[in-house]
Amino acid sequence: MRQRFQILNDPRFRLVYDEKRRFFEGPDPATLRLNIEHFKVADGIKKKTRVFPGMLLATHASLDKGDLHSPIYGIVSDINARSIFVDAVKREADDPVLEPRDFLEEGREGEELRWQMKEMGVNMRSLGQKVKTLIINGLNPDPGVTWAESILQTHANNLRHGMELQRRLTRADRIILAVPKGSTVSYDGVDIVYVEPEYPNSVNSVLIREVTGEENPPDIGAVGLHNLWSLGRVGTSGYPLMETVVTVGSATQWKNYIVKNGTSVGQLLTHAKVELNEGDTLLRGGPLRGECLDRLDRSISKGTVGLFVVEAGTVPPMEGHSPCVNCGACVQVCPAHLNPSTLSRYAEFANYNVCFQEHSPLCVECGLCGYVCIARRPVLQYIRLANAKIKQMQEFVYVDTEENASDETTEAKK
Amino acid sequence: MSNSEKNILFAMSAAPFWHCGRTITKNSMHYMIALMPAVFMAIWHWGIPALGVMSLSILVAMLTEELFTRVMHRTSTIADGTAAVSGLLLAFLMPANAPYWIVILAAFCAISLGKMAFGGYGANPVNTVLVGWAMVFVSFPVFMDPNSMLLQTDFIDPLVRLKYFGAEALQNASFTTSGLMFGEQIGALGASQILALLVGGLYLLARGVIRWEISLFFLIGVLLVAAILNEVDPSKYASPFFHLMTGSTILCAFFLATEFACAPDRSLGMILFGLTGGALLVIIRTYGVYTDGAPFAVMLANLLCPYFDMIKPKPFGVKK
Repeated sequence: MRQRFQILNDPRFRLVYDEKRRFFEGPDPATLRLNIEHFKVADGIKKKTRVFPGMLLATHASLDKGDLHSPIYGIVSDINARSIFVDAVKREADDPVLEPRDFLEEGREGEELRWQMKEMGVNMRSLGQKVKTLIINGLNPDPGVTWAESILQTHANNLRHGMELQRRLTRADRIILAVPKGSTVSYDGVDIVYVEPEYPNSVNSVLIREVTGEENPPDIGAVGLHNLWSLGRVGTSGYPLMETVVTVGSATQWKNYIVKNGTSVGQLLTHAKVELNEGDTLLRGGPLRGECLDRLDRSISKGTVGLFVVEAGTVPPMEGHSPCVNCGACVQVCPAHLNPSTLSRYAEFANYNVCFQEHSPLCVECGLCGYVCIARRPVLQYIRLANAKIKQMQEFVYVDTEENASDETTEAKK
Repeated sequence: MSNSEKNILFAMSAAPFWHCGRTITKNSMHYMIALMPAVFMAIWHWGIPALGVMSLSILVAMLTEELFTRVMHRTSTIADGTAAVSGLLLAFLMPANAPYWIVILAAFCAISLGKMAFGGYGANPVNTVLVGWAMVFVSFPVFMDPNSMLLQTDFIDPLVRLKYFGAEALQNASFTTSGLMFGEQIGALGASQILALLVGGLYLLARGVIRWEISLFFLIGVLLVAAILNEVDPSKYASPFFHLMTGSTILCAFFLATEFACAPDRSLGMILFGLTGGALLVIIRTYGVYTDGAPFAVMLANLLCPYFDMIKPKPFGVKK
């Protein structure tokens, strides 16, 4: 209440947007760019290969990361270290057609199902957590992202499939669905808990605290609704995962699209009729935790939850070096009870050891510190930097030379 | 024209990409707006000399800041308005007809020693304004004493009355509560405009520029200690509301104690900080040599701030 009154009086932080519209279809892209970093290109996929929807393009060695399938009929136009490019072509009569499968009927369970879903393109890292209780995060992850309510209300079948598959994974003993307070959704046999839909309650670790009353309790995990939707999408359609739900938001419009994996940001924005101007900021992910894009040919991937345009002049610009003025707003809003102002200064002057002593790895990365900063310091970025450096230092004993080498070669190739 | 045909240059930034819209410059603007009622009341009561003191103080404060940023090879921060706010607040603590040299000296000391010496805005351990004020107040007590400077007025100085004639003398003195509220008293030119400052302070609270814990508990601290003393011996100690409406209590509660650089950041710390400041104010007024203890109380509380900041909850998920 105090925070709402004084510092966070932004109505957009209320994560219920009364979004009743169904999802809009994304563009039919003329070209796709699919990220294959750390992937292994599948046999037989090379330049000029003709591909069809659901055809396997690349595999990932890890069980956490889903394999890559072509979402369209097309021809592979180029393959480099980072991406596969596919040009769309018209479907021809002799093009192969993938038969949909019924995974519930096939009846796989446990590890077998986990592998199967990974092979169907679902990222299984958070879905396959081995925990006692798994909480499905039914809130919109970031302010401005609006698909959660629509998924809960209009994609019930999809969600039911997702939860059934999730149950059959048998990685978690108990599954709870956390939904916004006041929501009327109900699913047979699923425990539902109600959470105040106020950012940062949608950040997984904060959500776990809201549900269990404990901070970072052992054996309790959370998974985003977006992931569960992907799992359910595979379950209901019977095809590999080839698309994602994306909120496209700008000053003029706010819509949810089902977008094919690999669609470029530019094509999606043109499709959504979003006009861009010099000085706008383009970002992928949520407006508080997302990443900034520099070019329109960056692409939408399976984990993308949103695409936003922040118009020039709507937020005060971030102007390089700006010292902290000790106003303490970040300290007041930090849900992890940290002191972002001092952490950011330690990181600024490369005192990562002190950051570690001051518990910077406990940061939940909600981004509120930067949101309230009157000096416009990139507070979250400093903390992320410190945490990355701390991780590096902790792993220093096992220098991952292969990883480093491959990074360097990609850099060199660019 | 579609987006891909235009060659657009995007602004790069770091997460979060939304912002609450508050900036240092806007905060200064809110301060200026909040201080305007008191500025008008000061001119109403004290005329052109008051305007002169305020203008000169703001001018010198801004010039000093510009000078020091140049000497220190820093980017100019004069445009963020913080120096102007400091200058105006400093003028509020001076008598309306303070000599010009004392205004210049005070503003220069405030910005140079109270702000730039520590690295600029937000790095000072003690309130910028009060550093300047304290230096000239202690060095030239006669020129800074409103009671000895403002002779051509019918108003009286309630704090002098209290100090030297006792609380009973207040009963038959010629001021009323509403008179005090509207600034009909001898005092520093802005600090005595009680109602105007109260309006400004509430505006800042509503805008979220200052933290309500500090202001509220500063006033509670004043009322609490004054009430205890008043209860002990009403003939010797003034009523708690008298302390609210005299001297620079309101100015300190809303504009000086709340300067966030030298105030605690967390709720409990802010509450204790406010209570300490308020309690010290009454104690200094009652037992000290100065008639108005408010600025000194705030400075002492500022010095205790690092200790209040030590009161903090355990980080997320850390037990023990």
